[in-house]
Amino acid sequence: MTLRQAQDGGYASDRAEIADLMARYLFAMDYNDYDTYAECFAEDGELDYAAGITRGREAIRTEAKVFKDNVARLFVDWQGNPAKLRHLVQHKAIRIEGDRAWNTGMWWEMTNGGPEGSLATPSFGTYEDELVRVEGRWLFKRRKIYNEFIEGRQTDPGNPVLAMDASR
Amino acid sequence: MNSQQYDDSYARDRAEIEDLMARYLFALDYNDLDSFGAMFTDDAVFDFARGRIAGKANILEAVGNFKARIGDIYKDEDGNPAVLRHVLAHAAIRVEGDRAWTRSQWFEMANDGPGKSLKMGTFGIYEDKLERVDGRWLFSERRILNEFLPGRESGPGNPIHDMDAAAAQ
Repeated sequence: MTLRQAQDGGYASDRAEIADLMARYLFAMDYNDYDTYAECFAEDGELDYAAGITRGREAIRTEAKVFKDNVARLFVDWQGNPAKLRHLVQHKAIRIEGDRAWNTGMWWEMTNGGPEGSLATPSFGTYEDELVRVEGRWLFKRRKIYNEFIEGRQTDPGNPVLAMDASR
Repeated sequence: MNSQQYDDSYARDRAEIEDLMARYLFALDYNDLDSFGAMFTDDAVFDFARGRIAGKANILEAVGNFKARIGDIYKDEDGNPAVLRHVLAHAAIRVEGDRAWTRSQWFEMANDGPGKSLKMGTFGIYEDKLERVDGRWLFSERRILNEFLPGRESGPGNPIHDMDAAAAQ
């Protein structure tokens, strides 16, 4: 983030809106609300995660259900039921330039899938996002989800914020 | 439907509400009931594992009793009351005039693992209502849901929707 950006009065309101979007995104995902999830993306938005790249809001709506169905099989509690899975977003480095924005954010996840129903923490990673303001609303243009526990989905060794700040 | 206007006043209100939510957790975890009580409206509702409590004086009594007992539930391996911390992650915050709502993700952790190591406890969400009273945001209702307590789980629907519906009225 440049000094100019921090002093710009619009940064705080843009950042507040993007923080709210990120929270709403996670509630939609964790509570299987695929419509609200898809609406977090621009119509031509792109989701890039462990299962591959999905392009377009409609395809993302479908893919979100595929993802959650897979996850229900992958994460189970000690009695074999689908675990309660919650994704969390922590710190977010957010850069804004006009109607475009970028986010580098830290996520992790927790479930009730530990021994005897206890809390388990399966993985963490980063979000690398590009956002676009469409009709006054910030939406994901592209969300790339890195996971440090999945081979091939780890972040590169370099600081991802430098790449974000160099984006044009 | 999210009809939030994300303008400068939203940014200020959100910043203040985030600060309130942080102060709430410090007050709770450090047994500071005076600060805790100052964050609620006089007729607030506090809905937690022990029931739905109305009125600030009743809330303080219930939370005081709860805090006095929690050391019996969370102990480190020597049997001392554990050092317990509640942690807030992301928050969806809806503001409409002098009313606001949150849906936010919390979890807790303590030093009650083997060798007094960190152990994750439980998680859940807050469902909050806030009011601006004399220029300050206060909780008028905090509902604490816990995915590990039968009968206190959130969902199954997306908790955002009833917040957005309430704000639209």
